[in-house]
Amino acid sequence: MTVTRVAESRTEFKLKNLPEDAISSVKFAPKSSQFLLVSSWDCSVRLYDVTSNVERHKYNHELPVLDVCFRDAAHSYSGGLDQTLKMYDLNVSSETVLGEHKGAIRCVEFASEVNAVLTGSWDGTVKMWDSRVPNCVGTYNQGNERVYTMSIVGEKFVVGTSGRKIFVWDVRNMGHVNQRRESSLKYQTRCIRVFPNKQGYVLSSIEGRVAVEYLDSNPEVQKKKYAFKCHRIKDGGLEKIYPVNAISFHSVYNTFATGGSDGYVNIWDGFNKKRLCQFHRYNTAVSALSFSHDGSALAIACSQLDESQVEDPKPEDTIYIRYVTDQETKPK
Amino acid sequence: MGRKKKKASKPWCWYCNREFDDEKILIQHQKAKHFKCHICHKKLYTGPGLSIHCMQVHKEAIDKVPNSLPNRSNIEIEIYGMEGIPPEDIKEHEKQKTGGGKGSDSDDDEPAAKKKPTAALLGAGPSSVSAGILPTPMGQMPQGMYPGHAMSMNHMMPHFMQAPRMMMPGMRPLFPAASVPTSTPSKPTFPAYSNATISAPPTTSTSAAGSEPKENGEVKVPAANACPLVTATGAGSKIVHPPEDVSLEEIRARHAKYRPKPKPDAPQTIATSVANIMSASTSQAEVAAHMSAAVAAARQQAALRRPVMQQVVGVLPQQLQLQQLPQLQQLPQQLQLQQLQQLPRVGVPVSMPPVMLPMMPQFNIMRPIQPVVVACGVWWAERWGRGACGVGAPRDERVVCRHAGAGRDDADGYVRRRAGPAAALPVAAQAQATPLSQLALLDWRPPVPRPRPAPLLLL
Repeated sequence: MTVTRVAESRTEFKLKNLPEDAISSVKFAPKSSQFLLVSSWDCSVRLYDVTSNVERHKYNHELPVLDVCFRDAAHSYSGGLDQTLKMYDLNVSSETVLGEHKGAIRCVEFASEVNAVLTGSWDGTVKMWDSRVPNCVGTYNQGNERVYTMSIVGEKFVVGTSGRKIFVWDVRNMGHVNQRRESSLKYQTRCIRVFPNKQGYVLSSIEGRVAVEYLDSNPEVQKKKYAFKCHRIKDGGLEKIYPVNAISFHSVYNTFATGGSDGYVNIWDGFNKKRLCQFHRYNTAVSALSFSHDGSALAIACSQLDESQVEDPKPEDTIYIRYVTDQETKPK
Repeated sequence: MGRKKKKASKPWCWYCNREFDDEKILIQHQKAKHFKCHICHKKLYTGPGLSIHCMQVHKEAIDKVPNSLPNRSNIEIEIYGMEGIPPEDIKEHEKQKTGGGKGSDSDDDEPAAKKKPTAALLGAGPSSVSAGILPTPMGQMPQGMYPGHAMSMNHMMPHFMQAPRMMMPGMRPLFPAASVPTSTPSKPTFPAYSNATISAPPTTSTSAAGSEPKENGEVKVPAANACPLVTATGAGSKIVHPPEDVSLEEIRARHAKYRPKPKPDAPQTIATSVANIMSASTSQAEVAAHMSAAVAAARQQAALRRPVMQQVVGVLPQQLQLQQLPQLQQLPQQLQLQQLQQLPRVGVPVSMPPVMLPMMPQFNIMRPIQPVVVACGVWWAERWGRGACGVGAPRDERVVCRHAGAGRDDADGYVRRRAGPAAALPVAAQAQATPLSQLALLDWRPPVPRPRPAPLLLL
């Protein structure tokens, strides 16, 4: 992959003291664009103060960490290959093991609506946990398919699994699945994010494609769903199609950014079917993205995930913080 | 996006998917672009016509139609304007035009890129003929896919060589209908090609897991552990993703350095815990873990079996080899021989092949078939894709029509093939040498009645 060198500018900079291995997830704090949680394959979870560019906290799991999330400014939850869900109190630097899955924990989300933590695992289940004490509230089978991605906004909870299955839940009533769907994309689901306005969700696949879908099953509404191609690079006669690894919503404008293994980040206006902008090409695949709560900053994690299976010297794992402008994120 | 969908009724060129307003112009286009002799610039009327012309006039074999799409380069199929196009290709084309099929494709809508009508039809060449075959660049495959676990390749290759579809790369349908097991006239003439034109073959449908006979008579390899594959969309594109349809994280998690620290005294638990972590239980790593457990057990049985172990080591992952090899190499050859001779005394039958040793059954049970299939499949697909048009085939194997005066009259409905050595082959050998997907090419198709153009063979 060609490396584009872009001079660090005021709008974009690299974090210091980065993890030593691939970055699996980045999450901005719920109410401030100052703090960023980062989970990594080097088994660590780190908290960065983005404004002063320092690492504030770090704790470890036994094995690589696949996802992390905030409860509030002072608490984080994380899970990974060691199959345990940890809660970390950032104020007093203490960790609590909340519980375990039978497989690696792929996704961790905090459901503020019910004050619970949700974990999705490769054991084919989603578990709901009391957010304060080690207490598993419930285990919800996801069709025995490995959970690959989850997203929750308010009560709308969408789970994407292997086998291209999608389960739509309501966290207030986890007694039954609201909707069981098959992905409208033909390839493996990579990432799902629910629109901040809860109308639908955006889904990406490994085959450079993104679908915009609506939760309302009314056929009139369903008509509006669509999919588009992206993150593809024509290289001579060969078109390389890259996985779309990450999606993050701008909570104010309902626009979203996608990051692909091609190293590009695009920002889209899903309702008007427009691409708003494309950033420069990053040094390697974009593995995770996170908009800050007000949409002013975008954290871009760049890590190669062996998608091309080339044994090259590994490109550096980096995290960029980009302060985005309205021009880049606001629907035109 | 309010884009107008074009009507599908326009004539189009099978070779390059271009659309024309008028069939006359289409025919002119085909003569100028696809049926022109590259040596004397004579314009012929059909693909076979061109090939015969070149053969007879210039003594040159042409193996593909000039300026054609990779999967549409078949020179043996007779197409004149819109006539002679395999019906399923017409259907496929209409589907593409009307945006039919799955909703997701119909509304492709990338603001930045212009939609090219041909892009979707640019199906894979013959390489995507069968499931489990992936058009991935060959260079990466054997080493790249499971670094350090090349064993299954070595181990399984001979087996797959025997499978009918593992035919010589680049070979064309050589053998006459004598070996066609199942063919009915109602079947599409070129199912292989029609399959190839599906713009994005579903990869994960669970129904694909079983072994169901496909329309071209080919039996899909059962996805051993319900592990479907990521097949690329076409010859002109490549999905940058490992062939296995599991998430990148799962694949990465198999890496040795991300596994829990092994406890030396309990190999079995290691294997289980590894299995737990990787619930996608198709992994090579897991196999390796099971094998290492088995090997550890076998190892305790000490020197007696060492010579045999050495054979086995040949198919073990590198890590294991590293552990084992020095030990084995230290053994003087003579000693090994001695031990081998002693073997019967301790109750291991001489005639017992190494695979029957205690460690192997477990290995056999646990070994997922899938990765192996992938490995071989990709390799062959690659070769096949590259040599699909006979490029890689030895000259004397190319299909050459030698009928005297063979022209359009030769369009007797049979696809041309070489008579001769094929007939001499026993039927079993023919079946082996001819890929199933190609057998369908031998289907009989009634000649298409059409106005006869000027005589072809002006020598």
